[in-house]
Amino acid sequence: MTPATARGGSALALPSWTAVLGAFHLRPRRALATVLGVAVGVAAVLATALASRAAVASMTDDVEALAGAARLEVTQPGGVPLEHLARLAPLAGELVIAPVVEGTALVAGSGELVRILGVDTLGTGEARFAGEIDARLGERFLRREGVLLARPAAAKLGLAVGRRLALIVQSRRVELELLALFDPPRAASAWERVLVADVALAQELLGRGEHVDRLTLAPRAGVPFDEAATIARVQALLPEGARVAPASERRADGERFVRSLTFNLTALAGVSVLVAIVLVATTLATAVVERRAVIALLRSLGASQGQLGAAVLAESAAIGLAGGLLGVVLGWAGARAIAADVHGSFATLSEDVLLGAVRLEPAWIVAGLALGLGTALVAAFLPLLETWRTPPVQHLRLAGVIEGRSHPRARAGVAVALLAGAALAARQPAVNGRPLWALVSTLLLLAVGIVLARPLLDLLARVPLAFLGERFGTPLRLAQAALAAARRRAAWAASAVGVAVALAIAMTTMIASFRSSVVAWTDQTMRSDLYLRPVASADGTSAGRIGSEAVAAVTALFGPERVDPYHETFASVGGERIVLGGAPFAVAEREGGVPFLDGRPFGVVFAEARARGGVVVNEPFERRFGLGRGDRVRLTTPGGTLEREIVGVYRDFSGHLGRVVLELEDFLRVAGDEGAESVGVHLPPEADVEAERARLRAALAGRFELEVLDAREVRAEVLRVFERTFAVTSALQGISALVAALAVVLVLTALVRERERELAVVRVLGGSRAQLGLLVAGQAFLLGLAGAGIGLGVGLAAGTVLVAVVNVQSFGWSLDLTVPASVLWSAAAVVPACLVAGWIPAWLSLRLQPQEALREPD
Amino acid sequence: MEPIVSLRDVERRYARGGLAVAALGGVSLDVAPGEFVAVVGPSGCGKSTLLNLVSGVDRADAGTLRVAGLDLGRASERERTELRRRRLGIVFQAFHLVANLTAEENVALPLALDGRRDPERVRALLARVGLAERARHRPGELSGGEQQRVALARALVHRPALVVADEPTGNLDSENGARVLELLEELRAQEGAALLLATHDRALVARAGRVVALKDGRIVEGA
Repeated sequence: MTPATARGGSALALPSWTAVLGAFHLRPRRALATVLGVAVGVAAVLATALASRAAVASMTDDVEALAGAARLEVTQPGGVPLEHLARLAPLAGELVIAPVVEGTALVAGSGELVRILGVDTLGTGEARFAGEIDARLGERFLRREGVLLARPAAAKLGLAVGRRLALIVQSRRVELELLALFDPPRAASAWERVLVADVALAQELLGRGEHVDRLTLAPRAGVPFDEAATIARVQALLPEGARVAPASERRADGERFVRSLTFNLTALAGVSVLVAIVLVATTLATAVVERRAVIALLRSLGASQGQLGAAVLAESAAIGLAGGLLGVVLGWAGARAIAADVHGSFATLSEDVLLGAVRLEPAWIVAGLALGLGTALVAAFLPLLETWRTPPVQHLRLAGVIEGRSHPRARAGVAVALLAGAALAARQPAVNGRPLWALVSTLLLLAVGIVLARPLLDLLARVPLAFLGERFGTPLRLAQAALAAARRRAAWAASAVGVAVALAIAMTTMIASFRSSVVAWTDQTMRSDLYLRPVASADGTSAGRIGSEAVAAVTALFGPERVDPYHETFASVGGERIVLGGAPFAVAEREGGVPFLDGRPFGVVFAEARARGGVVVNEPFERRFGLGRGDRVRLTTPGGTLEREIVGVYRDFSGHLGRVVLELEDFLRVAGDEGAESVGVHLPPEADVEAERARLRAALAGRFELEVLDAREVRAEVLRVFERTFAVTSALQGISALVAALAVVLVLTALVRERERELAVVRVLGGSRAQLGLLVAGQAFLLGLAGAGIGLGVGLAAGTVLVAVVNVQSFGWSLDLTVPASVLWSAAAVVPACLVAGWIPAWLSLRLQPQEALREPD
Repeated sequence: MEPIVSLRDVERRYARGGLAVAALGGVSLDVAPGEFVAVVGPSGCGKSTLLNLVSGVDRADAGTLRVAGLDLGRASERERTELRRRRLGIVFQAFHLVANLTAEENVALPLALDGRRDPERVRALLARVGLAERARHRPGELSGGEQQRVALARALVHRPALVVADEPTGNLDSENGARVLELLEELRAQEGAALLLATHDRALVARAGRVVALKDGRIVEGA
């Protein structure tokens, strides 16, 4: 190439750029809607990710703030015995070793949760609070007469120094004097809800006995610190079961807590991006088709496919960047909204703390822009094809544009291959606990819907409408013709609708399956007539446990054979943390109702467990460790290591960490009695539940702060928590639906613009405005019908994957597949929604001036 | 006999670049039933504007305009639509067939929009324009001349009293233009429809019963 031709090439790029980018100022509303579509998709992903990060960051800050100068922590399932302090005495010259106790309490009257942090201020040189405590106060602090409180928390609770603070902790009401206030390190921090007590007082309040929750190890000033070597030396001094690790590692628990949820929510939010891709693709492709004449002219004048393609990509990039930027702003606002909504899930974090943790760092802005750009560039594929297929102007047919055949057989083949791929992917195991292959399976299913959209539209375009008569049938026949003529872009719009509907149906199926499984499980397992639980905060979070005296009082009232206390602590299996439960198997054998996966009656299983000294485990445990009935499990517990035979695996939706349940006596021997999580009371069949409840309340009154619920109230509470958990998924469904509706509006508007000559012809030939409106509405109806069909098929399949694979791999929960009738309504609702979305283009069609549309050059 | 088209002092102005431009200024014209009137004149003289007004797709700013007995100045949108649907046939320079309908579906369109069906009439007209074998073909599969013949059949299928044709041979080569011209004249005569035709084509002008010349929006000859 000579320099001259090279210059010629770059000069040609100018008109093609100008022509193609003209869409922005020629169709500003459409460009804006497209940008908005990208922005909504980006915002959904970013909001989910930012909010999840905020939750993790809050917990991390929390851990780090409360850890202070500590570099290492010693922990042990069920708590660290204080005797470990003596074991570590040889290291006292180089390390400050401090016991820490942590728990929650409820401020009486206000329902506010606070965190009790028990620290050893004097004995270990805990210097952080020294400035707040003078000698006189320090003495009282050590004598367990009072506590310190963060200044913001005191202001919120209306407390001043010297006032008494009433708390409900471990089901008892206690009053403590507020000795001093301290300022948290920064405005919104983990300290905001922290109440500092001497470690001994915290042990007493929280019923820790001779245990503390952890020992923190900080290097003494001036002493060199080698983390790995210190860990080895500390570990060598401690018995089996105790674990020493960097203090920062505790954040991993928090990360595990939100990891599955984050992954699944981000995947859901990703669907919004998918819909946005379809939206941008259809819009840009339509813009290209609209400007076909200009593009054809440019091709005749020598513009290369590369130059035209570059122009399309530039336009996509501009839309992507604008959408990404707007998405970052919306995502940040969305994350704050989510944080404000879910802060109740993190009981000891204030809303301000969580909101403060929603930080829009430069990396997130870049990520949002990249996501917007990526979305738009992927979406540019279709318009690129449209551009490259545009012939030079000499070959443009005057009759108009009819897009190619849909090759139904080839598409059916591709669909079958994708389905097979989806089935194969759904059978793959989780990757690092994440259902990655299940996500691939879901994406392949969505791809099946997209591939089949064109043949489906072709089919709908051929449905005979003679039965509607000529007057009404003709506009619909014309609608069929218009859609068939623009089948490629129409198929993308139908796909956008289909993907959104599929998401809604998949989620509806999953939630319905989950709900029905939870309801059945609740009905089966929650057979007690009355339940006791610690008083809960306003958002339903319980503080502390039910102390042994309260359990004894209930037992005295109803008899041991009718009282079913459930205890819980942490233990480990192979170094992995699990929940260790304790329950009276004799009561469970008679009353339990626990559903075992192998179908055996609970009475049989618990009788066997009692006879053989065995344990039962829940389904998440079996899936996590691969240990089931007949296997032996080796547990590291607070009281040492024990090995038990697993006699049954039961269905459990109350957690996904994995749970091993011991006979209560066994449990109390190894874990001690730090109070029960809940206590159930099984009344005789003839008992008057309300009268018994009143009797129980009267027995507890003045001594214990406990809530007494009946079975109906407990089930309602379970479902309330369930509904709150799925509120976010509903929001994500709504976002996808919004983006899909935008796609329908844009595509129909574009179809009206593109076919305005045909519409004008119909008008001039005697078509009424009503018929024109019917024509456009007919297109919307057919798009909606196709979207509903795709959505229903794909949604049910994806819902099955969510139920059978994603839930199992994420949480270890197997659910009974339930397809509610509402999925049909969800699908059917799309058709009127599309008709509403078609209102704007229909209105545009009615504004059409036929003489302008049909004007020929003189 | 009442004229099928009657214009009296009709004016039509457009705003162009902030200025009012008179596309038609005080045009008066009658067209008798069955008459063939050719409207000629240079580009921009107002030919298409005149035809748009007669077709009822545009409204005059002044004057009275009656077509097939309907006062278009006072007619409602619905009456104007009915007029086009039942009494007018329209032929465009660029054919304007509906791309994804077959030839016979395109021909049947005016009837269908009126809630009527007459497959025999459609087939007969297609046969008369020599396209019986191509009834199932779509516009993209037809040549320009064939498309315009389909458009002729469409313009006549509902037996209109007036055919309005705007440069019907303007996009055709001379051979196809002549064929279309013959058919238009033949069919119009058979159907007894009046023909108001805007054209530059001298061959068409030669066949017309009367020639109306327009210049700068005014009739300078043949009123």
